[in-house]
Amino acid sequence: MAGGVSGYAAISAKVRAMYSNLLTPQDISRLSESPDFSSLISALKHTQYGPYLSALKDNELTPRRAVQQIKRRLADTYASVVQMSPTQARPLIRQLYRSFELGNLKAVLRSIVTVSSSWNADEAPWDRVREVLFPFGSFSTLPAQAMVESGSVASAVELLKGTPYESAISFALRRFSAEQNLFPIEVALDLDYWRRLWTEARKLKGLDREAATKIIGSLLDMNNLMWTARYKIYHKLSEEELINYTLPFGFRAHDDDIRAIAAGADAAAVISRIFPTIPDVAALLEKPHTGLPKLEVQIKRQVIQQCAAAFIGNPFHVGLPLAFLILSDLEIQDLIALIEAKSSDISDEELHSALLKTALQN
Amino acid sequence: MFFPREMTEVELIIPSKDLVTVTKALSGRGVFHQVDSAYLGIESLGPNAWQEKAANYSALERRIQATMHTLGLEEQQRSASDFDTIIDLGAAHADIDRIEGEVKEVGERLLAEKKRMELLESQLRQIEPISDVNVEVGALSKSEHLYSILGVMPAAQMSRLETSLARVPHVFFTLKEDSQKPVVWLLGPRSAYDVLDRAAKSAYLNPLALPEEFIGTPEEIAAKTRKAIETSKQAIFGLEAQLKKLGDAHNAELQKLWWDVHVSRLMADAIARFGQLRHTYVVVGWVPTAELQALTERLKAASKEILIETMPTERTVHSANVPVALTNNKWLKPIQELITTYGRPGYGELDPTFMVMLTFPILYGAMFGDLGQGLLMMLVGALAHKRIFMKGLQSIGLLLVYCGFFASVFGTLYGSIFGFEGHHIQEYLGFHFEPLWISPVNDILTILGLAIDAGIVILLFSYLLSLFNAARAKDWAHFWFGHTGVVAIGFYLCFLTILNSLLGSTPIAPKLAAAISRLPLPFGILTPIFAIGVMLNGLFRNIVEGHRPLLDGGAMFFVQAFMDLFEGAISMLSNTLSFVRVGAFAVAHGGLSLAIFSLAGTEPTIGFWITIIIGNIFITGFEGLIVYIQTMRLHYYEILGKFFHGGGMRFEPLRLNPSQEEA
Repeated sequence: MAGGVSGYAAISAKVRAMYSNLLTPQDISRLSESPDFSSLISALKHTQYGPYLSALKDNELTPRRAVQQIKRRLADTYASVVQMSPTQARPLIRQLYRSFELGNLKAVLRSIVTVSSSWNADEAPWDRVREVLFPFGSFSTLPAQAMVESGSVASAVELLKGTPYESAISFALRRFSAEQNLFPIEVALDLDYWRRLWTEARKLKGLDREAATKIIGSLLDMNNLMWTARYKIYHKLSEEELINYTLPFGFRAHDDDIRAIAAGADAAAVISRIFPTIPDVAALLEKPHTGLPKLEVQIKRQVIQQCAAAFIGNPFHVGLPLAFLILSDLEIQDLIALIEAKSSDISDEELHSALLKTALQN
Repeated sequence: MFFPREMTEVELIIPSKDLVTVTKALSGRGVFHQVDSAYLGIESLGPNAWQEKAANYSALERRIQATMHTLGLEEQQRSASDFDTIIDLGAAHADIDRIEGEVKEVGERLLAEKKRMELLESQLRQIEPISDVNVEVGALSKSEHLYSILGVMPAAQMSRLETSLARVPHVFFTLKEDSQKPVVWLLGPRSAYDVLDRAAKSAYLNPLALPEEFIGTPEEIAAKTRKAIETSKQAIFGLEAQLKKLGDAHNAELQKLWWDVHVSRLMADAIARFGQLRHTYVVVGWVPTAELQALTERLKAASKEILIETMPTERTVHSANVPVALTNNKWLKPIQELITTYGRPGYGELDPTFMVMLTFPILYGAMFGDLGQGLLMMLVGALAHKRIFMKGLQSIGLLLVYCGFFASVFGTLYGSIFGFEGHHIQEYLGFHFEPLWISPVNDILTILGLAIDAGIVILLFSYLLSLFNAARAKDWAHFWFGHTGVVAIGFYLCFLTILNSLLGSTPIAPKLAAAISRLPLPFGILTPIFAIGVMLNGLFRNIVEGHRPLLDGGAMFFVQAFMDLFEGAISMLSNTLSFVRVGAFAVAHGGLSLAIFSLAGTEPTIGFWITIIIGNIFITGFEGLIVYIQTMRLHYYEILGKFFHGGGMRFEPLRLNPSQEEA
């Protein structure tokens, strides 16, 4: 099938056009200066998210609904990029898109586990859950409503037959039954998802493969390092568990690095060596409750730079659509942070430390 | 034909008693685009009961589908006329409760038996590879010095498990290779029990769990398991026969029940979006004007007291709220797909489908002019369209036919057949075939000049279409001072005279530019006037539209105005010269054919013909694709951008029949 110039001519032109519509750090700064939620929404209505937010009446725009509407734009972007991508790149882009389906699956499972204890009994579980699910439309293969209504994790898992999640979840189900904790299922799903994504990237050839492994590898670097740090600090997992709950792939962070941290090496020194531009890693890890989220923001900024680099040079490869989709997702993470901050009592200082784009020049 | 279908806004006031029959009439033909009444400010009186009903029908539909699935029955689509009225939920519940009662118990037993057999098979898979080990399985777990785990695990996790145990003495066997569930055996010292156990758990190694009665050596356990599988298979067979019987008995009733509930659910969904007043419902939506008469008759037949108010919407109105229904013509579909990828026309906007229907294949043919390859492309397109050959190309099959046709026409004009041109045709094919018009390879500069001429014609036509759109929308500011307004066109004509003076009498000089230069007009005076006009377009637009301040940004306004002029001139130059590619690709096509001939040699041996055939396949596939992209690029960047804005709302009518929805 067509690759190179012929395969990517249309998609690279379209992605470049859409790339220019992404919010700039200055736009994010301006939005962050909105005094409250309603002025933030008014300001957002003048951006590319305007048509999505205008679809709801002002009195219906709760923070949660605003986030849903904003996510709809990302869903439309994915649908359009998948449709225009050359055949060989589609499996990778579809798999990348599946990360939101994975998020939906986790939300559904969590809702089943927590439904009896904390939720309002007057409201049907599905009505509550669907408000937080990513608006996939026809792309999703997940029988989310039936799963929620099935009432138990085991019955919900039965409904996953024939989906890409069946295999991973079936291995983890026994541990869930024994431990009554979703942790093993969620880890199994994460590992399976990222392994599949990496495999799809490695299946590509030439420039496509090079670009895809760089970008997907950067995401894997972030995941592996954050997983290792969190599992070690919060869950106090052993060396062998840390190794089994991470993946031996990445772009800058190699398996030796992850294994070294698992074996007890100084995590700050390893991370500083991998990302020399991130300042004060040791200080961040000293106070993990506040430091780890900040470290994640710093690594995400590295991912943003990696994605922005894909737009320099030869544009006829899968790197452009991949980078654009990841940047769009990260932009939405910024907007969610803004919406949450403006609709609650989060201080400006806290907000700015959570934003991905403000500290970057581009 | 040249615009989206004319739409009429319809407002209906329906008495509550006729709600269902009217909804059925509205949904039956797939011509009514409903507008959610919430957007009109019509609030429901209290909670919307129809939303609840829709949710109940949806839940009931899923139950029926689950029962049908258990019985192995497929849902059979019916026509809208097979539906009478919204089914009573209570009666439907009673029916499904009764059938479910009969089916559920057998279905659950079957499911449990299948699960049991699946488990037994999994146990057998795990125990079989060690059937020659003559040790009691129980003894392995009771060993004093050895800790062992036999089980299955994800194949992808195996190497990770070994890595995680690098510092612990252990032995790890793969007893049975399997891409999904390999059977593995992990052994190590009992002193390292906790490490081995943690590693196995975190690698998702699920240990073999045998029922208590399965004791003995692996071989004995395997024999018992096989026997249990046999018994289980017979039980499954018996239960399946029972279900088949039940399926035959309830098929007709379930199909009818499913269809009634399914359509009731669709109608309840639609009604939930109606505006509800005290005794009436208000429905607002859009209908293609051509369908209005028939719809009105059906609605009046459904309710004598219905009030129907219609508001024809003139096409001159460019409203984002009017849904856009494009002409439904299968011959235009591939072109419509090209257009809608760029944008859906706005309601008042010219639909460029017909124009592109001409320009796309003609520009394609001009770049890929070859009689033989064009006919081949037509054939492939026709076969793909009919899904006989290369089914993956079905959606662009017709487009290939159109492009192939014009490639053949230009092939005849260029005197090219399967890459053979001039004396090669006489020499190798044995007949005479002279170009009817021009040979691009032999007359390179002329064909490049002609391509620019064609580009100028197309660009001028696109500018005129833009004026037409602006005039229809009564957008006089843009008509005169828009980027493609009258002033911009005037400047483009002046720009062509400058281009002509630059290219002089070179063969590449466009003849049209020369003709324009010869017009008895004072271009020397007009050029600076139009240039100033282009520079100050923004100012003039502000004056016409009454926007204040007129000059936004003070001195910077003039810097920006100059940059606008500079950018305008550059884009006019690049837009015009962009069409050179049409001639360049016509030349490249001949050049590529010559390259194939130089590879094939001169003697007409078998090798020569094989090279020619492979070369032709390569050219048709590879160059055909590149020319397709170039043609698309010309349309998206140079042509459509001049007059087409898009942004129209998709026409999504209410439908009862799912097969209609898919269509």
